[in-house]
Amino acid sequence: MFPSNGKPPPLSPVLLAGIAARPVSPRLLQPVLDHVMKLLGKQHPDLFERLSCLSDPTFLIDPIDLPVVFHLDANPERTYLEVSRSIERPAAAVIRGPLMTLLDLLEGRMDGDALFFSRALAIEGDTEAVVALRNAVDDSGIDLRGDVLASFGPFAKPAHRVLGMGGRIYTRMSRDLDMLKAALQQPQPKGPQA
Amino acid sequence: MKKLELVCPAGTPAALRAAVDSGADTVYLGFRDATNARNFPGLNFSRPELEQGIEYARSKGAHIYLAINTFPTAGDPEPWHKAVDDGAALGVDAVILADIGMLDYAAQNHPDLRRHLSVQASASNPEAINFYQDAFDVKRVVLPRVLTVPEIKALHKEISVETEVFVFGGLCVMAEGRCSLSSYVTGQSPNTNGVCSPACDVRYEDEDDGSMVSRLGDFTINAFAPGEAAGYPTLCKGRFVANGETSYLFEDPVSLNAASMLSELQEAGVTALKIEGRQRGKAYIAEVVSSFRKSVDGMESGAEVENDLTQVAEGQRKTAGAYQKTWR
Repeated sequence: MFPSNGKPPPLSPVLLAGIAARPVSPRLLQPVLDHVMKLLGKQHPDLFERLSCLSDPTFLIDPIDLPVVFHLDANPERTYLEVSRSIERPAAAVIRGPLMTLLDLLEGRMDGDALFFSRALAIEGDTEAVVALRNAVDDSGIDLRGDVLASFGPFAKPAHRVLGMGGRIYTRMSRDLDMLKAALQQPQPKGPQA
Repeated sequence: MKKLELVCPAGTPAALRAAVDSGADTVYLGFRDATNARNFPGLNFSRPELEQGIEYARSKGAHIYLAINTFPTAGDPEPWHKAVDDGAALGVDAVILADIGMLDYAAQNHPDLRRHLSVQASASNPEAINFYQDAFDVKRVVLPRVLTVPEIKALHKEISVETEVFVFGGLCVMAEGRCSLSSYVTGQSPNTNGVCSPACDVRYEDEDDGSMVSRLGDFTINAFAPGEAAGYPTLCKGRFVANGETSYLFEDPVSLNAASMLSELQEAGVTALKIEGRQRGKAYIAEVVSSFRKSVDGMESGAEVENDLTQVAEGQRKTAGAYQKTWR
């Protein structure tokens, strides 16, 4: 599956986790996505109102460092997010980038145009649909971590601690992988001249 | 000398809050239709959103300017008139207008509503600016991005209205309000439809070698090498072959950044500094506005604060634009 666009994904903990999880069926993730979409609909009811100008609000979201893609149908009457290994299903637009970049965009931490200028984000297909989705998401104030954790009720606190620990491990791994990458890319010292 | 006013963009209520929280003195915005020059899908404000936005801005001591800066469709000025009426009723602090008919309508029907002249009117000389002041009692002119700092200073000796100048963001070719490049290719322009290079006419394609091609309508307008920073898909920022050489013929994809010239602009007589980017996300707004807030506040203590906003700049490059003309 990945890289789905022919370009190598960045070396990151997400890439390693994706490789490790490859034998697992992505369908196991589906109940989590259903839960997330239900939460988003409840906590950000006007999220999809800004997309009402679109005739076909369907998107293929492709995290290039994971062996799966997400199909989003943002039509208010049948909103769903589905995980799959297949990129064949038609969508009005494709949004492609590393998972953490896509999450930064979703939660409004990074500007979509800036990511596009830097080429960290690639889009294909209906540009109008992508622009409308970006604007709707940017306005909605989604806090995925906060929204999901809040839904855990009494388990929110321990879940928050676990997530915090995961975040620290991710940061450390990212640093180690950057170091590994730099070491692998450095020029080899020349041997003694014969 | 009066402290410079920081006028900041917002395309959504979240961006408005980000601008105000980051230190904007004023936020400018538009309604969700063709009455403003950023009529992009999913962007801009409904009437209830504007009402809430005004309330939020007021609670933090900030002002709201409403951009109604496109030219009405011949025979159908009603949406533009309604935008002025609604803006006045909701209590915006000023309307930013470009069209003579709209200025007349606002002056006749809402004489107490402050009127600013949009950059889209392209008034860059004393005769034009004084005409708008005499005829429509315009209080401020947003200057087109064609003047050097000494030219702005000289201009101020012959006018008595306030001026507002752009200090950061995307640049246009130097015919604002009169540019027909977008309508030539797509049939829609920023001047009448409020949209330059409409997204529905834009396509990006990734090539096998890692390059990216951008198309506008039936035209290929640029091809970016793998890893090369990209720009907006407008015809003015397209790369074309002329005399056997491929280059940017009109302008480079690059952002204006005049952060190092704020004192000079103030000394030239400028009242307000404008940041471009109503189409940008709240992360851009927060970063750019807080950076310029620091710069303006720094001026008070005599310290000019440089900024580094390269990461959010178009093409990830900056220019002083016409403020420091080197091309003639």
